[in-house]
Amino acid sequence: MTRLTGGVIDHETALRFTFNGKTYSGRKGDTLASALLANGVQLVGRSFKYHRPRGVLSAGSEEPNALVTLRGGAREEPNTRATVTELFDGLVARSQNHVGPLHRDVMAVNDLLSPLFASGFYYKTFMWPRAFWEKLYEPLIRHAAGLGRLSGEADPDAYDKGFLHCDLLVIGGGAAGLAAALAAGRAGVKVILADEDFQFGGRLLAETHQLDGMPATSWVTAVMAELSGLENVRLMPRTTVFGAYDHGIYGAVERVSDHVSAADGEVRQTLWRITAKRSVLAAGATERHIPFPNNDRPGIMLAGAMRAYANRWAASPTRHPSDPVIIFTNNDDGHRTATDLLAKGVPVTAVVDPRDDAPTFGAYELITGVVDDTKGRLGLTSVRVTQNGQSRWMPCGALGVSGGWNPNVHLSSHHRSKPVWDEALLAFVPGKDLPNGMIVAGAAVGQGTTAKALRSGMEAAVSSLAALGISAERIDLPDADDTAAAQTAFWHVSRKGRAWVDFQNDVTVKDIVLAHQENMRPVEHLKRWTTLGMATDQGKTSNISALAVMAELTGKSLPETGTTIFRPPYTGVTLSVLGGGDTGKHFRPTRYTPTHQWSASQGATFVEVGAWLRAQYFVQPGETHWRQSVDREVLAVRRGVGLCDVTTLGKIDVQGPDAAEFLNRIYCNMMGTLAVGRVRYGLMLREDGHAYDDGTCARLSENHFVVTTTTANAALVYRNMEFARQCLWPDLNVSLISTTDAWAQIAVAGPNSRTLLSRVVDGFDLSNEVFPFMACAELTVCGGLRARLFRISFSGELAYEIAVPARYGNALMERLAQVGADLGATPYGTEALGVMRIEKGHAAGSELNGQTTAQMLSLGRMVSEKKDSIGAVMSRREGLAQDKRRLVGFRPVDKSEAIVAGSHLFTQGETRNTTTDQGWITSAAYSPHVGSSIAIGFLEEGDARMGEVVIAANPLEGREVRVEVVSPHFVDPEGGRLRD
Amino acid sequence: MTDLMAITALGAVAPYEFQIGGLVIRENTELALASLSLGRGQGAPTILGTSMPDVGQWQAGPEVSAFWTAPNQWFIEGQGRAHEDFAAIVKAAAPDCAVTEQTDGWVAFDVYSNDGFKPLEGLLEKLVNIDLDGFEVGTALRTGLHHMSVYLIRRSDTHVTIMGMRTFAAALCHALESTAVRLR
Repeated sequence: MTRLTGGVIDHETALRFTFNGKTYSGRKGDTLASALLANGVQLVGRSFKYHRPRGVLSAGSEEPNALVTLRGGAREEPNTRATVTELFDGLVARSQNHVGPLHRDVMAVNDLLSPLFASGFYYKTFMWPRAFWEKLYEPLIRHAAGLGRLSGEADPDAYDKGFLHCDLLVIGGGAAGLAAALAAGRAGVKVILADEDFQFGGRLLAETHQLDGMPATSWVTAVMAELSGLENVRLMPRTTVFGAYDHGIYGAVERVSDHVSAADGEVRQTLWRITAKRSVLAAGATERHIPFPNNDRPGIMLAGAMRAYANRWAASPTRHPSDPVIIFTNNDDGHRTATDLLAKGVPVTAVVDPRDDAPTFGAYELITGVVDDTKGRLGLTSVRVTQNGQSRWMPCGALGVSGGWNPNVHLSSHHRSKPVWDEALLAFVPGKDLPNGMIVAGAAVGQGTTAKALRSGMEAAVSSLAALGISAERIDLPDADDTAAAQTAFWHVSRKGRAWVDFQNDVTVKDIVLAHQENMRPVEHLKRWTTLGMATDQGKTSNISALAVMAELTGKSLPETGTTIFRPPYTGVTLSVLGGGDTGKHFRPTRYTPTHQWSASQGATFVEVGAWLRAQYFVQPGETHWRQSVDREVLAVRRGVGLCDVTTLGKIDVQGPDAAEFLNRIYCNMMGTLAVGRVRYGLMLREDGHAYDDGTCARLSENHFVVTTTTANAALVYRNMEFARQCLWPDLNVSLISTTDAWAQIAVAGPNSRTLLSRVVDGFDLSNEVFPFMACAELTVCGGLRARLFRISFSGELAYEIAVPARYGNALMERLAQVGADLGATPYGTEALGVMRIEKGHAAGSELNGQTTAQMLSLGRMVSEKKDSIGAVMSRREGLAQDKRRLVGFRPVDKSEAIVAGSHLFTQGETRNTTTDQGWITSAAYSPHVGSSIAIGFLEEGDARMGEVVIAANPLEGREVRVEVVSPHFVDPEGGRLRD
Repeated sequence: MTDLMAITALGAVAPYEFQIGGLVIRENTELALASLSLGRGQGAPTILGTSMPDVGQWQAGPEVSAFWTAPNQWFIEGQGRAHEDFAAIVKAAAPDCAVTEQTDGWVAFDVYSNDGFKPLEGLLEKLVNIDLDGFEVGTALRTGLHHMSVYLIRRSDTHVTIMGMRTFAAALCHALESTAVRLR
């Protein structure tokens, strides 16, 4: 054990956890990383490419090395950073990316073969033979590379999603964030304070600075107590704000129960979309390391992280308490680690600093030089220090490295703002054009001293509120350290050997040199050639160091070399939480028809039609193939009577003195002359003259119409009509509203339909004389229930559609089936509906596909020249009006052959290509009425080619059928049945 | 009186009810609805003693209540009157206005809290992207919920009605219930 005293952990509460099957003890307040370090565990994983032993590098979300797999079974989660994993009793973790035990990884052979794995090696190596790539090389590389593995099972955890609104979103709860939240909180505005850590305080928890002469943690505790008491402040620990999106919306993931042994069903994480009027980005800074040969051994970590482990988590970075620690730094801040560790009783033997004028802050040896090599395969044992050309090996159990700090500008550049180089800070700071309403404060904008962070946070809040017209008082800030850490531009140690820049992707200085030699110099090319900055850490600890190395090679300044723009997410976000908890059939909502229960009870097979579930066909005992059911339903309708729920068709109520004129302009055909109590078929054109929807229009009274649309276009037609009403013709006195859901509508079709309906209407005369084809009426049924009746037919038979308030739809269907049993009343689904409309030659979605015109549909004469309507003029334009393709019917010459929809039509004996294409089959079905396959489709001059045999070619399946061109009306072409 | 038996939007005989924590979700199958639209140049009528509320508002009244749905358009509500020809009643009260029957166009879930607005706030912030600070008693608005379009009416401190398209009732119900369960 290397547990120290003090810290911000609860020494009294022990938590047991396992790592690679071995049980350890940690403390409440530990992360997995701090608990492992406190147990003397330095080796926690293997590197991506070379399988090098790796230890903890950082103490935050920037961690590239300490990636572990948490939990097990379906809940297994790979690539989780041990540095931000809050310890709980029973936590199970294991290392990843090794074959065999962690300390004897067989794949470590890769390290010996490293010369073969230089940057871009797979672009060069696996070029030949080409066929080997997919079958051999790629599987091989995928097996060898990669980090953790997915369980491959469905995620059993529960997730949630939600929306929050606030005046000020404060991102980060360190010194700057707390000061901002406090200032805004006291001003009474709605504040959200979010931090990815489970404890607020940021670096204040990791440092020994005093505030007002007291430990900083005391100030943090007092501030948190005050903020907790403010109703207008929402504290969101364990919440990562991962992205800045448009209109002041931020994406955030709250880890609700990742830190406990959650019960089944308990929400694991919640996705929040936060709409903030203003935001303060106080995300702090990330320390960078200094690349030098063999700088990746377990035990080598960032100096600031080492300090955090000692001060916050009371954990020494060494395996044994007596192991000496050395610090390698180019700045004063690194020295602070030495003094803090010494104060904790950790032996620090030396601080190595390349600066000639480096100061000394404590009782340690100051060596003006560099660390340029290390030893210790599974854990650091010694480092080589070179001073004035003289090298010596010094025993060392842990090495703290500090190369300065990079402001965490990520979220500030999510809207493409380019960070700018600050030569004084030796860092990129947020540039111009930040996300609207965002102010960056504290170390994230280079204001890194405690005093500056506090002040900039407070000022950011005051400015943010001022922009909202709210005057906020400046708060009293505690006295704090304001000494900026002096540093020098020292980017890497130039020595022979592999010096890692990006630990996660195993990218070394040599790789960058190679990329430079191969002319992959722009940072975008450098990234893709070397994979630097990719993967889970997105180069948080490596990007700037890599830029500096490339700048040195190109002889350019660092800002001239380039910079990095960041995209969301700031840290990895699970796909499950983006789903927000709704998966499977609940991924999107489903619409049920009013007769769904009855249909289900009748054995319906349902089909998705957009959001709707409609009965497709009703399987009866003895039917083993869907065609049997469909054929039976079709014949039942044509011989007796069938019942089908057609509620899904859109219903738009149109009222007003100008309703008739409005509809004249919406439909291409004349609608204003429609008599009260009558229905007319109508066709709507798009502005470009193509047909886009059809349906019926019923006139219930002088100023009251009901328009029906196709199921697919219900919302589109309504939207277009509203646009026309509000924007095109605001002078027309008309009102529109959808009533699709309000009425259950049932098609009653077949020669017995009149008889059946007469059994349910309340004394309504259904005779042909009183209620002829295309009549409509409001009436009552079944003892006084208000209803609407339309005599329209899609099947070509005598048919009606009856509508009742939706709650009665199921009962009416049941009643119709019951009282019509002796008439052969049969439920039919969308398949039979489709067969019958093809038999009748009625157009549907396949014919109204957005590429066809009224003329093509043989409805050209419907486009009235007596009035204007949407699309009418454009339908007559040159090039469109001359289209000679016409909707016709087709029958296979050999009746046993089936016609396939989508087949293209060719004249017999012609070569087949796009220039000889004569049209295509739009819809096809087996017609039990005709006794063969039938089809409709568009054929060049089709109406003049009746009787001709053409080829319906289906080259995808290598088939062709000889088909005869016939009338599209396979049933009752004279229309006598529906008028009887 | 018809002898046909009505079913709820969820296909059941009895209204749905679900209680968890401090929340009760209850389907209101007895709420009658009719839309009312003004013609050009018409003034807003008073329907059975209820005046038409302003944009984004709900207005309670002695016999009926009303909420704003669009420019010059409101929904008139009749509590407990779903089995009447409510649209005809509204039309009779405003013969010059365009009225449509909407009772069965919608499913209404009343959500009650037994502990002030807080539990409702907890539920709503998981469901709808609205600033709940502005969602005061008497507010009616339309917004998206789980890819569906809904009306929200804040009837009292502890009572919110969520109204969705009737054919989406099962999906809306699932969204409300599963979200309430996740609040545990």
